[in-house]
Amino acid sequence: MDSDEEDFVFYGTPIEREEELTSRKKKAIAESSGQLRTLPAWKQEVRDEEGRRRFHGAFTGGYSAGYYNTVGSKEGWTPQTFRSSRKNRAEFKEQNILNFLDEDEKAELDGWFLGTSSQFDTFGFTAAEIARKQAEKEQKQRPSVIPGPAPDELIQPATESIGVKLLLKMGWRRGRSIKDSHADALYDARRQARRAFLAFSSDDPKVKTSESEQNKDDVETFLEQSTNDDVQSSKSTPVFVLNPKQDLYGLGFDPYKHAPEFREKKRSRLSSKGGPGYSKNMSTRNSLFSLKSSIYHLSAGKSAPGFGIGALEELDAEDEDVYATGFEFEDTYVQEVEEPSTLRLENQKKKDQKDQKDHDNLPGFRVASNTDYQMERFEAPPIPKDFVPRHSFSGPLEINHKNYDLPPPDIPPPEDSNLKILIEGVANLVARCGKLYEDISREKNQSNPLFSFLSGGTGHDYYARKLWEAQQKCKDKTKPLLDGKVSSDVKRLTAESRGQILGEKPLERSLQDSSSSVASTDVHLQFNLTDTFTKSEPFGELPDVEKPFKHDPAKQDRFEQFLKDKYRGGLRSTKSSLAGDMSEAARARERLDFEAAAEAILKGKQGKESNLGIPSSMDFITGGLMQFTSGEAEPKKDLQSEDLAQKKKYPRREEFQWRPSALLCKRFDLIDPYMGKPAPAPRSRSKLDSLIFTSDSAKGAKIEEPVLSKNISYVQQSANQDITKSTAESETEGDVEVENIERPVDLYKAIFSDDSDDGGEDPNHLKKVENQEKKAEVANTALSRLIAGDFLESLGKELGLEVPPDMPYPSQKFRNTASQEENINEHSRTNTLKVEHNSEMPPNHGLPSDQDTVYEGGPSKGDVIHANMLESGSTKINATGIYDSKSGKSNGESYKDDMKIKSPLPREQDHSSGSSSEEERKRKRSGKSSRDKHEEYRKTKTLSTHRRDYSSGSSSEEESSRKRSRHHRHRRRTESDPSSDDERDRHGSRSKERKKGSSREKSSRSRKRSKHHKHRRH
Amino acid sequence: MSVEDLPRKEVNVLKGHEGAVLSARFNADGNYCLSCGKDRTIRLWNPHRGIHIKTYKSHGREVRDVHVTSDNSKLCSCGGDRQIFYWDVATGRVIRKFRGHDGEVNAVKFNEYSSVVVSAGYDQSLRSWDCRSHSTEPMQIIDTFSDSVMFVCLTNTEIIGGSDDGTVRTFDIRIGRETSDNLGQPVNCISMSNDGNCILAGCLDSTLRLLDRSTGESLQEYKGHTNKSFKLDCCLTNTDAHVTAGSEDGYIYFWDLVDASVVSRFRAHNSVVTSVSYHPKENCMVTASVDGTIRVWKT
Repeated sequence: MDSDEEDFVFYGTPIEREEELTSRKKKAIAESSGQLRTLPAWKQEVRDEEGRRRFHGAFTGGYSAGYYNTVGSKEGWTPQTFRSSRKNRAEFKEQNILNFLDEDEKAELDGWFLGTSSQFDTFGFTAAEIARKQAEKEQKQRPSVIPGPAPDELIQPATESIGVKLLLKMGWRRGRSIKDSHADALYDARRQARRAFLAFSSDDPKVKTSESEQNKDDVETFLEQSTNDDVQSSKSTPVFVLNPKQDLYGLGFDPYKHAPEFREKKRSRLSSKGGPGYSKNMSTRNSLFSLKSSIYHLSAGKSAPGFGIGALEELDAEDEDVYATGFEFEDTYVQEVEEPSTLRLENQKKKDQKDQKDHDNLPGFRVASNTDYQMERFEAPPIPKDFVPRHSFSGPLEINHKNYDLPPPDIPPPEDSNLKILIEGVANLVARCGKLYEDISREKNQSNPLFSFLSGGTGHDYYARKLWEAQQKCKDKTKPLLDGKVSSDVKRLTAESRGQILGEKPLERSLQDSSSSVASTDVHLQFNLTDTFTKSEPFGELPDVEKPFKHDPAKQDRFEQFLKDKYRGGLRSTKSSLAGDMSEAARARERLDFEAAAEAILKGKQGKESNLGIPSSMDFITGGLMQFTSGEAEPKKDLQSEDLAQKKKYPRREEFQWRPSALLCKRFDLIDPYMGKPAPAPRSRSKLDSLIFTSDSAKGAKIEEPVLSKNISYVQQSANQDITKSTAESETEGDVEVENIERPVDLYKAIFSDDSDDGGEDPNHLKKVENQEKKAEVANTALSRLIAGDFLESLGKELGLEVPPDMPYPSQKFRNTASQEENINEHSRTNTLKVEHNSEMPPNHGLPSDQDTVYEGGPSKGDVIHANMLESGSTKINATGIYDSKSGKSNGESYKDDMKIKSPLPREQDHSSGSSSEEERKRKRSGKSSRDKHEEYRKTKTLSTHRRDYSSGSSSEEESSRKRSRHHRHRRRTESDPSSDDERDRHGSRSKERKKGSSREKSSRSRKRSKHHKHRRH
Repeated sequence: MSVEDLPRKEVNVLKGHEGAVLSARFNADGNYCLSCGKDRTIRLWNPHRGIHIKTYKSHGREVRDVHVTSDNSKLCSCGGDRQIFYWDVATGRVIRKFRGHDGEVNAVKFNEYSSVVVSAGYDQSLRSWDCRSHSTEPMQIIDTFSDSVMFVCLTNTEIIGGSDDGTVRTFDIRIGRETSDNLGQPVNCISMSNDGNCILAGCLDSTLRLLDRSTGESLQEYKGHTNKSFKLDCCLTNTDAHVTAGSEDGYIYFWDLVDASVVSRFRAHNSVVTSVSYHPKENCMVTASVDGTIRVWKT
C-alpha cells in the first residue's frame, strides 16, 4: 500500500482541513471566554486572536517557531531573488517598516505619527488628510440627493454593499486604505495633497468657502482651517462625495468645462448675492446649484419643474412644459460667456423681477384666463355589416402588389423571342412561386446579361407587365380556392366538383359529409380523390390533361396531394409526405412536373371558361421550359410496364451469409454454425462496400430511376424522336438537345471530375471544333435551353435541393436509348470489341457475362430496372469503346498513358491481367477499333449530307455521353443497385478496382448522403 | 374470432406520462404493461385495474422502447440518450447501461432466455448485448442495414430487424444466414404473427405488409390508416385473425387478416397513436398516444 501511495503524484497545495481551522477558532473563542483562565499559569498558552499558538517554548517544541515569530512571511529576512520575464514582470516591491510590524504594533504606532501643520505642509500630506476629514464632515451636512425635506436617514442603505462586506471579511477596516499601504498610496496622497494645497492657496483661507471640483473621479477635497489631529487617516480611502444632480444639464455636462474661470466668478457672484438671507449651508453647496436653489427659494413651495408633477394635478400643470427650465440657464450662460461682467447683473435683476411677478409661469408667458383644452372623444367607427371577423391568409403569393396595383402599360414584347420566352417564364414562375423566387433568380443571375430585365434592364417593362398578368391570373385562380366561401362563382377544387367537371359518377358516401368541417375534409378528401380515380378508371373518359399521371397511381396520389397543398395553404409543405422515400432531387423534379401539370390543368379549365387573351404559359410550355409536360404523354406506355415491374419487384428477397458471433450463439443456446470454420467470409467486407451503394441505390436506382425517367424523359423523348426520324428539321433539334444535355454535364464535371479528365478529352475537342459552326447556328435556341436548365437548378435551390448531380442521369438514359437505336448500325463493331474484351478478361472477372447479356439485346430478363442497369452498363462499355477507337485514331501514343489513368475500363484490365503484353494488346485493340470506326465514318459520310450532319452531331453526342458515362460511373459507384447477385459480383470487381483508385472518399460521400437521407426522414 | 370480439370498449385510461407516450407493451403474460415516453420515464401499470405501479427514471432523453423479460424480473429500455438501460424491475435500479450506439436507439428486445438484449439503432446497426457477463461491449454488431434500424424482433433462433432502408432482415443464428426482404418502403415496425410464419411490417407509405417468412412473398397489404411520418406500431391480434395498427389521426384500425378489409376503425386518441400492443391471450389491447395517455381496450 505504501508503494501505491508513493506512486501518486500530487499537484497543487492541499486544501487545509476545515475542521482544523474551526477547532482552532473554537479553542480561541473558548480561551477568550475565560474558560482557560482557570488553568494554572503554566498550562495557559498564548495565542493570537485567530487561535494560533505563537510562542513555542524552547523546551516544548519550537518546531514552528522561526516562522511565526519573525517577519510573518516565509521568506523571513532573506532577500528575495529577483525574477522577471517578459511575460511576468517582476513587481517592484517596496518594503517599509509597516510590513514588518504586527497588527498590534501598528495600532500602537498609530498615535505616534507626526503630521505637519498646514502652514508647513510642503508636500500637502497633512492638507490632504485634513481635506479628507473635512469632506467626511461635509458629507454629513451635504444636501441630500433627493431635494426636499426627505432626510438622509430615511434612505440609508439597508445593508452594506457586497464589496464592503467582502473587504471587511478580508480584514479591511473602515477608514483604512484598500491598497497596499505603500504601493501607490504615496503618489495618490501626494497628488491629492497637491491639489488640495493649490486650492488652499488660491482661496482665502479665512473665508469658509467650498470648492467644487468637477473632476472625473468626483472627489471633492475640502479644506478647513481647523485642524483635526486625528492623523490615523493616512491610509484611508478617499471619501466619495455625492454630488446630487440638481441642475438641468445633461449628465456629465459641465458648462464651465473649458472656462473654469467663470465657474469661480459665478460662485463668488452667487455667494455675494445670496447674502445673509441665505442659509449657511447654501455656501457649502455646489455653486452651480445655488442659482437653482434661489429660484427654489423664491418660488416658495412650487415644485421645481420636472419634479413632482403628478397625475392628479390640474390640467394647467400638464399644459406646462414639463421639461422647461425653471430658469433661463442657457441665457445666463451665454451672457456669461459673452459679457461676463456687467450685463449679467442687470440680467439677473430683470430676471428676479420677472420671477417675482409671475413666478409660477414660464418666463415670457402668462397664464391664460381660460383654457380651451378639452378632452375630445371620438366615436368608434361603425363596423360594416358585411364584415366577417375572420382573416384569410392569401399565402406568399402576394408579391409586392403595391408595385403593381396599377397594371403596367401593355408593352410589346421584345423582338428577341428567346428573351420573350424567358421573361414570360420567369414572370410565371415568380407569380406562382412568390417574390422569393424573383429575388433568388435575380441574385443568382446578377452577372447574366440575359436576366438584366429582373433588375431593370432591357425588357423590364415587359417583365413587369407579364408579372402583373401572371399575378392576376394566379390571384384569380387561387383566391377562390383559398377561401371558397367568399366567392361562389368559382368552385373549390374538391373531389366532388372535380368529379362533376369530369362527368364522373358521384361516389357513394360512406363517410360523413366532408364539407362539414375543414379538418374532416382534409382527412377524407384524399380518400375521396383516390377513390374517384380508382373508380373512374374503367370509364376511361378523362382527358389526359386532367390526370397527367394516370399511369402511375402513386405519383398521381402525390400529385393530388400537391394540388391540395398548393390550393389550400399557399405555403409549400416542406415534406411531401407521400413520396417519403424519394430523393430530394427527384422530388424537386417531380414538383416541377406537378407545377407544370397543375398549370396546364388550370389553363385548360380557364380556357374553357374565360377568354383571357394573354400569351399565357401555354405558349410557354410548348416553347421552352415546360417541356416536361408535353413529353409527359408519350413515355407512358413503356413506363407503365416499368411501374408494373417495379411493383412486382417488391418484396424482393436476398440471402447472404451472416456469421453470428460465437458468444451470441452461446447466449441464444445454439450451436455456432461457423464453429471451427475459418474467419468470417470476405463477403462481409465486400458486402459492406456494396451496402454503401445500396443505401443510395435504394433511393437512387430503384425509385429515383423510374421517376427520373418519367420526369426528364422529355429530353429523352424528343431526342429519341429526333434521332429516329432523322429528318432535316429534326437535326437541328437534335443538336439543340445535345447542347441542352451537355450543360449539366459540364456542371457535374466541375463538381466531380478529376483534373486528369481534361487531358483525356483533348482529342474530342478537336472534334468539337468541327461542329463549331453547327453550334453557332443553334446557339440562340440552345441558350434558351440553357436557361431552362438554369431554372431547374435555381428552383431546386429554392426548394433547398441539389439538382445538378442528378441532371446528367436522364441524359445518360437518353444516351442509352439513343445509342441503342444507333447501335444497330454499330452493333457489329461493338461485338468485335466485346470479343476482345472477353479475350482480355480473366475468366473470374465477372464482367463478361453481364456484357453478354447486354449485347445480346438488353432487357431480356424481364426485370426492367435490372435491364436498365445493364443498359447503362452497356453504355458505359460502349462509350469507352468509342473512346478507345477515337483516341487511338487521333493520338495513338498518348493513348497509352492517358488510358492508364483515365479510362476506368483499362484500369480494370491493369488490375486483372498481367502488365507485360498488355500495352501491345491495347494498342492492337485500339488500332482495330479505330479501323472500325473509320470504316463506319466513311460509310456515314457516303450516305447523305444530312446523315453526315447527324453523325457529326452524334459524335459530339458521343463525346458528351462519354463524359457522362464517366460521371455516371461516379454515380454508379455510389448508386449501384444490388438487384441481383451478378450485379453484386460486378460491384465486387469494381470494389477491387477501387482499392487501387482514390475513390475511398466516394464511398464516404455516399455514406454521408445516406445519412442525409436519414436526417430528412426523421 | 368475429368482429364483435375486437377490443373496442375503453376500460381504462392510464394517465401519468407527461408528454407523448412512445410505446406501451404488455408483458409476457399480459398482466402488466409497460410504457415509456418523452418524459424520460418508464412506467409500469396494471392495465386491467388501471393502476400505476412504478416509475423508472434514469434516462436522459426520451425513452423509445421498453421490453421486459418473460420472468418479469428485468427491463431493458432505450431511447434518445443512445444507451440501453438494463433495469431491475423490483428495485427500479439500473443494473447496467450498454453504451455503443452512435445514435438514438429505436428498439430493444430481450431474447427468450433474457440473456441477450438486441437493440436497433439510428446508427444503422443492430447490436446484441450480453446480460450475463459484465461486458459492456456488444457481442455482435450487425451493420448491414443502410439506414436507421427502426425495429427488432427476436425469435428463438433469429434476429429480425426492420429498417428505414426498406428491408426486413432476418438473421438466422442457427444456420448463419441473413435474409433480406426488400419492401421498397421504409419499415417502421415489424411484428411477428403468433404462429411465427409471417411478419407484419408497417411501412411509411401508410401500408402494412404481411410477409411470408419462408418465401419472402408479400401476402397482403393493409391500407387505410395514415402513417407517413411517425413511428407507429402494428400488431396482430392474439388469434392472428386480425391486424391492428394505430393511425396518425388518432384512429385505430382493424383489418381482416386474409382479405385486408377494414373491419373496424374508431377514434381512440386525440392525437397520433404511437403504439398498440395486444394481449397475448385475451381480447385486450393497450394503445399509447402522443396525447400522453394510454388506453386499455377490451371487448
